[in-house]
Amino acid sequence: MTRDKQISNYAKGLLKVSLEDGQFSEERAAAVLQALEKNPPRNYASVLKEYLKLVQREVANSTAAVEHAGELSASALEAIKAKFTAHYGRPITVTASQNDDLIAGLRVRVGCDVYDSSVAGALKELEASLS
Amino acid sequence: MSSVIEQIEQQIANLQATTVQSNVGKIVTIADGVAKVDGLSEVMYNEMIEFPGGTIGIALNLEEDEVGVVILGESTHLKAGDEAKCTGKLLSVPVGKGLLGRVVDALGRPVDGKGPIESNEAYPVEKIAPGIIERKSVDQPLATGIMAIDSMIPIGRGQRELIIGDRGTGKTTIAIDTIINQAKINEVGLASGDESFRPVYSIYVAVGQKNSNIARTLGVLEEADALKYTIIVTAPAADSAANQYLAPYSGVAMAEWFMTNGMDALIVYDDLSKHAAAYRQMSLVLKRPSGREAYPGDVFYLHSRLLERSARVNEENGNGSVTALPIIETLAGDLSAYIPTNVISITDGQIFLETDLFNQGIRPAVSVGLSVSRVGSAAQIKATKQVAGKIKLELAQFRELAAFAQFGSDLDAKTKAQLDRGARIVELFKQPAFNPIPIEEQVAVLWGIQNNYYDDIEVSLIVAAANAIREFFTSRKEALLVSIREKAKIDDELQAELKKAYDEWKPSFA
Repeated sequence: MTRDKQISNYAKGLLKVSLEDGQFSEERAAAVLQALEKNPPRNYASVLKEYLKLVQREVANSTAAVEHAGELSASALEAIKAKFTAHYGRPITVTASQNDDLIAGLRVRVGCDVYDSSVAGALKELEASLS
Repeated sequence: MSSVIEQIEQQIANLQATTVQSNVGKIVTIADGVAKVDGLSEVMYNEMIEFPGGTIGIALNLEEDEVGVVILGESTHLKAGDEAKCTGKLLSVPVGKGLLGRVVDALGRPVDGKGPIESNEAYPVEKIAPGIIERKSVDQPLATGIMAIDSMIPIGRGQRELIIGDRGTGKTTIAIDTIINQAKINEVGLASGDESFRPVYSIYVAVGQKNSNIARTLGVLEEADALKYTIIVTAPAADSAANQYLAPYSGVAMAEWFMTNGMDALIVYDDLSKHAAAYRQMSLVLKRPSGREAYPGDVFYLHSRLLERSARVNEENGNGSVTALPIIETLAGDLSAYIPTNVISITDGQIFLETDLFNQGIRPAVSVGLSVSRVGSAAQIKATKQVAGKIKLELAQFRELAAFAQFGSDLDAKTKAQLDRGARIVELFKQPAFNPIPIEEQVAVLWGIQNNYYDDIEVSLIVAAANAIREFFTSRKEALLVSIREKAKIDDELQAELKKAYDEWKPSFA
């Protein structure tokens, strides 16, 4: 087995123990990090980098990153959370950030999926269809 | 103008409260035209991936954590961290009659400066070949216009006939001759008003060729007025390996459109050796395991799935066909190299061109012994069978005897007669490039050799005699040629007329 493969498999094992009921658990992850610090494996830095990548991917899959132009009410965020939790069948947390480049509307990203209902996105689509 | 306004209004109406869902990823690394992308969880194999600036790639390696995407075209503006987006579409190219007369790249985009392509249809580049039930055996001829081929190695519509030989032996010339001949037959057939006439449309795929060669081919086709029935798909040597890999599939997609719409198409892959090399380069960059000669394990499948798409389909499926003329370049005449043996085993025969024959001035330099057509004889017209049935055997015997006769001066009369006849057949089959001969003229010329009309003509004058008899027939016996073409067999009446014509011509030539 190549070194990269070994590191990747080790990091995947770490991620596995960081999950609780299939969900990423911050407490478990902290415990994993403590254990690693006490007994650092070979290629410690590479393992940590790989683990970070996997954790980021896992967190992104359970987070709806909402970008919006203008105001967005708390009830709207709650609705988004409920909708995506039902859609993906797992608890989804919501983070919101303002992005005026969207002109109006909002864009939500969950893992690799992007849901765009902004005016900027629509204009981009229009541009593509006319070119 | 109003239609554009309506289109924009329609698009704006569509914008109301629509949410566009997409699946995205980020470029992790990019090198040698291949991007490793993190994300793209919904990606399909062979799906088109969109990068910033409208650059397109195809997802070829779906790995556990990453997707290997081969970029089509320019990739220098892309960098790590750039977004990549699934399009949900498999790679497809424009198809239809609007492409005839045009030169396009591997993605079907025009490169001839003649404006946009008039085509509303797209066809997937990768498609499963027609199955057994849809197929029909080859039974219609596809005349190349080259006497040596049409008489000895006939090709039928739906056949895959490999053209193989060293560099500079006239492989492309044979393919171009065939395209020109199809255009000539189309002209005559369409002008005749015969409703049962089926024109053949040609697709010439240039893979890894020099641009100057492609320009020359284009010039030849234009000069012969054959371009209007031809589509040229180019992925020249300067193009990326991905484009060179894709070009034959794009070409066959265009050809398949004709077949599925009940028409006949001819596709030339020039050449598949360079195609295999481009695929090897791509595979190595994608870090796929390499095998013999560093080609990946699926290099056989690369060509088999391409050539299997050439077929003759039955009446229930439109009765169309795709005939393929793949070209393979050998090194020092080595037919047993990896790629040549692969392609030989997939095709329905091969035309082998020999450097020695070419250098002796025998052009086309077809090696009779090593060339074969496995299914074409079923499609050969009866008239050709009648006049050329024994020629291949006679020529093969001549080659054997000629080699043997070099060492001895005393030959028996039978051997000498065979040598004389063989030498005349060799001369008769000499044909200049880009000058295909209609099948009826071929029959008329070959009838002469079958009936010993050339036996008393000096070997050095055979070419002149063949030209003279063709001129005699076209200028003074047009009706006889038309009869041969229409009847497609030599009956007693035609036999008598041919005899009369030869008797009339012979004294004038002497």
